[in-house]
Amino acid sequence: MALQTFTAGQILTAAQVTALQANDYNQTVSAKVASYVLTAADKGTRITMSSASATTITVNTSLFTAGDSLRIQNIGAGACVVTAGTATVTSAGPLSIPQWGGGQLYFTSASAAVYFPDAVTASTSGLVCVKAETAFSGAATITADGIFTSSYTNYVLQIQANSASSADLTLQLRASGVTATATNYNQQKIQANTSTAGAARTTANSSATITTQGSSNVWSFNQTTIYQPQLAAVTGFQALTHWHNSGTYAQPIIEQWFGNHSLATAYDGFIITMGGGFTVTGTYAVYGYSKTV
Amino acid sequence: MNMKTNDNGIERDMTETEIEAYEIVKADLEKRAKERTKAEAAQATARQTVLTKLGLTADEAALLLD
Repeated sequence: MALQTFTAGQILTAAQVTALQANDYNQTVSAKVASYVLTAADKGTRITMSSASATTITVNTSLFTAGDSLRIQNIGAGACVVTAGTATVTSAGPLSIPQWGGGQLYFTSASAAVYFPDAVTASTSGLVCVKAETAFSGAATITADGIFTSSYTNYVLQIQANSASSADLTLQLRASGVTATATNYNQQKIQANTSTAGAARTTANSSATITTQGSSNVWSFNQTTIYQPQLAAVTGFQALTHWHNSGTYAQPIIEQWFGNHSLATAYDGFIITMGGGFTVTGTYAVYGYSKTV
Repeated sequence: MNMKTNDNGIERDMTETEIEAYEIVKADLEKRAKERTKAEAAQATARQTVLTKLGLTADEAALLLD
């Protein structure tokens, strides 16, 4: 029931009381299917927007007074935007209402309103950290267990490191703390060093190279995508790395290692080993790629 | 000096078993590095042989490929 103005001596009917009560327990709905400009009669009601296309609900001045409020809900697939017409609309949250979202429009004066969006479930992040950034220092090996789960199919390992001398960093998969050491790792490399490009294939290895450490104590930067390690299927690797041949960082070199671990086995972690008998210092983190939008 | 590992974020000395596993990977990496160096050297030699036959420098050959 729209807001009523009762006068002195007027007889209040049961129907009116019931209607007013209904607005508390079953709020009056004003259903819209296209963009809409609020009117004074919308005070205290609930506006629902149902449209497959984007819509707006426009707020103008001199229709409401301080303390008035109304609810806005979007039940359509198109986003509905609470839009300032001649009135101002402020909000700490978004003014765009997604499907199944809503909130309260509260007027602080005849020309100003605040939109309070209801809490909504945040969209899933594209990358979810499954192993927080971890520092290692003077380590010959680095182990991360229990990070590959059914929550994600693909993962990315970010690692930056430096070592006392040049050698490869290599990765092996692990399951329940046991390292897969058999010669099931196969790789193809492409490399660019100044104007020279190179390529090489290396197969039936007991580990997969993910990066080369350059000169002494010079940083290298690596991102390795690990495909479906937790599935009982072949695991894919794509290691993109760049390292430096001099302490001045004036000789950057880029390498990509593509490869696989050919066993159809599920793994939950990995171990990284520094070659050459050297140790390595740096940080790493692992992220899972979201499977949903 | 003891070999160190970062075990799920915890720095500690390697166990004997871990050292044995590490030595296997290390040896494999050294073998692969040697093979790679050998292959790269062979490739460089082959490239130089072709350049010599053609009477070109490496820079001149690179210009032809641009």
